[in-house]
Amino acid sequence: MTSTTRRTLLAVTATLSATAVLGACSLNDADASPTGGSSKSGTVYFGVSAAITGQYAQYGEQFKEAFDLAAEQVNAAGGIDGRQVALKYEDSQSDPKQSVAVAQKFVGDKSVVLVFGDYSSAASIPASPIYTAGKLLQYGFNNSNPAFTEKGSEYQWSTSITTSASYEWTADYVKKQGVDSVGVTYLNTADWGIPAYAAFKAEAAKIGLEITHAEGVLDTSDDYRPSLTKAVAGKPDAFVHIGYGPDAAKLVTQLRSIGYEGTFYGGQDEESFDGTPAAEGSIIGSEFLETNPDPKVQAFVKAFKEKYPNEKNVTGFEAGAYDAFNVAVAAAKLGGTTREGLLKGFQQVKDVPSVVYGSITFDQATRRVASPQLTPAILQGGAWVARD
Amino acid sequence: MVDTLIAGLLRGNVYALGAVGISLVFGVMNVVNFAQFSFFGLGAMLAWFLVAQEGLPFWLALPIVLAVCAGLGLVVNVAVVRPLAKFLPLAAMLSTYAVSQILDNASQLTFTAQFRVFPQVLPTANLHVGHMRFGTSDVVMLGVTAAVMVAMSLFLKHGKTGQAIRATAQDQEAALQMGIPVGRVQHVSFVIASALGGLAGVFIALYVGVANPSSGLNTGMTAFVAATLGGLGSLVGAVVGGFVLGLLEAFGIHLFGDTARQIVIFVVLIVVLIARPGGLLGKVPLISTEPLTGTFLGKGRPLRVPRWVWVAAFVVAGVLVPVLGSAYVLTTGTQVLVYAIIAAGFTVTAGQAGVLALGQAGPIAIGAYVSALLTLHLHFSFWAALPVSGLVAAIVAAVLASPIWGVKGHYISIATLGVGITVVAVIQLAVPQGIYGIPVPQWFGTPLTTPLAYYLIDLGVLAVTLLVMWRIRSSHLGRVISSVGSDEVAALASGVRARDYKALAFAVSAFFAGVGGSLLAHQYTYIDTTMFTMLMSLLVVTIVIMGGVGLPYGAVVGSIVLIGAMELLRFTPELRIIVYGLVLILVVRFRPGGILVRAA
Repeated sequence: MTSTTRRTLLAVTATLSATAVLGACSLNDADASPTGGSSKSGTVYFGVSAAITGQYAQYGEQFKEAFDLAAEQVNAAGGIDGRQVALKYEDSQSDPKQSVAVAQKFVGDKSVVLVFGDYSSAASIPASPIYTAGKLLQYGFNNSNPAFTEKGSEYQWSTSITTSASYEWTADYVKKQGVDSVGVTYLNTADWGIPAYAAFKAEAAKIGLEITHAEGVLDTSDDYRPSLTKAVAGKPDAFVHIGYGPDAAKLVTQLRSIGYEGTFYGGQDEESFDGTPAAEGSIIGSEFLETNPDPKVQAFVKAFKEKYPNEKNVTGFEAGAYDAFNVAVAAAKLGGTTREGLLKGFQQVKDVPSVVYGSITFDQATRRVASPQLTPAILQGGAWVARD
Repeated sequence: MVDTLIAGLLRGNVYALGAVGISLVFGVMNVVNFAQFSFFGLGAMLAWFLVAQEGLPFWLALPIVLAVCAGLGLVVNVAVVRPLAKFLPLAAMLSTYAVSQILDNASQLTFTAQFRVFPQVLPTANLHVGHMRFGTSDVVMLGVTAAVMVAMSLFLKHGKTGQAIRATAQDQEAALQMGIPVGRVQHVSFVIASALGGLAGVFIALYVGVANPSSGLNTGMTAFVAATLGGLGSLVGAVVGGFVLGLLEAFGIHLFGDTARQIVIFVVLIVVLIARPGGLLGKVPLISTEPLTGTFLGKGRPLRVPRWVWVAAFVVAGVLVPVLGSAYVLTTGTQVLVYAIIAAGFTVTAGQAGVLALGQAGPIAIGAYVSALLTLHLHFSFWAALPVSGLVAAIVAAVLASPIWGVKGHYISIATLGVGITVVAVIQLAVPQGIYGIPVPQWFGTPLTTPLAYYLIDLGVLAVTLLVMWRIRSSHLGRVISSVGSDEVAALASGVRARDYKALAFAVSAFFAGVGGSLLAHQYTYIDTTMFTMLMSLLVVTIVIMGGVGLPYGAVVGSIVLIGAMELLRFTPELRIIVYGLVLILVVRFRPGGILVRAA
């Protein structure tokens, strides 16, 4: 054996054994559980995992605007027990590859006591085990997929109404309007559209609402005409679309262009849908309505438009984020500004004033809002107004 | 029936207009131009901005949009694409990807990410045939497509520059020798194509009704397929391909649902390519030098890596990082390692067999889903599921890809992209809901869930992968595969069955892709098909090209640079992607063969 080979062999063996020893020591460590939390004085930090760039960036922007407004108001009123609140944003592009890394970063940052996010359940759910292991509360305020909280641990919370609740309500409401048959299109996404349609279908079967035809569609499609001609072939009384704003905008325009006149139950309070001429007369069940005369809501809308004069609409996305911030602050005031304190706070907090639900109390079993209410709303003149 | 027919024609109209520009650049420069997709989006957003925000009349806004797109196209070509296309088309393709990232993000920063209602500059629903409404805008679009096609055809046939373009497309070197200013010709084609892209973007937005900075990608992709279908480089083919694809797509959706859209598109493409390998109206590349592939190897010599570097790398990766690295570093490290595994395996197909397959997301997805299902429902242990999912991915990928190996040149890259997208679309149909609660790896009962554990597992698998790659390369089998890649005609003449070896190389790469997918699935504990996108395939390709297409350890370096860079650049969240694109361009510009390859 030459000396070079011997040296190499020695080096390799040494590193291998060193690695094995080190590995065995730390393989089963729970991550040095950060009790986390800032010192008695100093800023309280909330983390935000959201899409700042990428295809979902518009939602990240909307969240940021609402968070910044809420933070401003909370700090002006004295913060949390005299301490200022600030946000740390990390761009995940709502991509699970990145939301996982972002989660790890936040868990390791001891000053972060709670994380808001992510925009989509597909990004939030893979990150959940990391937040749970790090004992950092993951507030998926926009995650309407019930699996986020159902399959999550005590660290996963959400104030978003679940897709199942929304679409059960929709089925009931449509039937109440005297509609007996509907054509349906739904987004064929695993984390949202498909479970939403399943809930709708189940409820429709229970109450005797006939679905003449249901078509799965992709939100990346630009032209739904071939699917639509199929969906309305059975001449349904009305049409239901289970999806988001931009795809609903394209879809309703094309629905009208193939000559279908029935009511469109679909859409979202979102700029491109609200501005689409063919969307006039669409009906949805809404949590947040900009035109709601409630003084709390009007104060929020006024403050938002003052701070962001370029924004024409205030939608449920901004409202949800605004509420989420206030819920987190209320919980921190109750339980303390540490990671454990926030968890305790969430388990105890009640009746937080909300621009979406009126007031928020958590159902501790589901870690979601207890008995959320939806208001039927109709799009008139580019704005959503309440309807009976 | 008639409704679907009309819908198909309307769609085909859009694709035809988009395809013409794509075919032009591709035919002349032999470069897959990803930036074209950005021009669709840019054209739409500029038009929206000028008409809806600034209040300009449409007839004034449109020429401005065309001028801006043309100007940008010129800048892109002069600064980025042409210098690299001279080195090698692979690098040029990569740079167009970087440019498209930069353009999209710059557009997003300028116009914000909001979806916008596109102003109805032309009536969109004032005419009808039967139940189907369409509008003057569609008629005008058809007119524009026809006019462009006729004008371009006349220009190419009779104009001096046009003839120069055709000469360059046919044989660049001969054209140079004849005194044709090839550089200027390429600039002109790029400029024309960019303007056409902007124009198509405007009409697409008008047709669809909404626009946003990334709206070009999906229609652009289909237009790209249409251009391929018609035969890259043939303008008439682009238009024909557009209409054919539009019609088939409309009927396919009507029969199978919108969810089958991508499957329909790519199956049509693959069937056409098998029947007519050059596309409907294109020339069959007889003696294909496969400019996107193989010949690349001759252009540079891999840097010699001294022995001590291996030991040092092992120490750093195996000891220093796990001991000193924070959980964040380790988690990023796991992503780097998994992509290194996939990319290293990919070098067999790309580097040795000389096929730049663009659809690795397919086998990765297969591996992830198979592993998840095996551990969740059949209670396999992770350690057993890992190699099995790689095996299944290899077999499925080999079977699905088996018809396409007779296709040549650029077309095979596009066909493999199609296979990748189709695989993911089929998985979506089979398992629509995503898979939750995937079991984590266990070591004799203790669950391994810490970042350190994942890191070490991934490191171990990477070590095995590199070992296997090394053994393959130095074996007889490896040499045969390399012969196919470096000179297919000579290999064929020596009696090597090139088709079969390409298929074998693809299967080997698919095995490692499947293994990578399995590792990802057990780390995320949740998978759904939105994770396995074309962008994932492109990332793998980019890593491999960056590290040097034929070098497995180069893939590791490429992975560190690209994925590490994505994380390191977090300090500039707004500019992150733009900086990433710039970094990519710089590396490709100065090390076009890959970081570890010296320029010849």
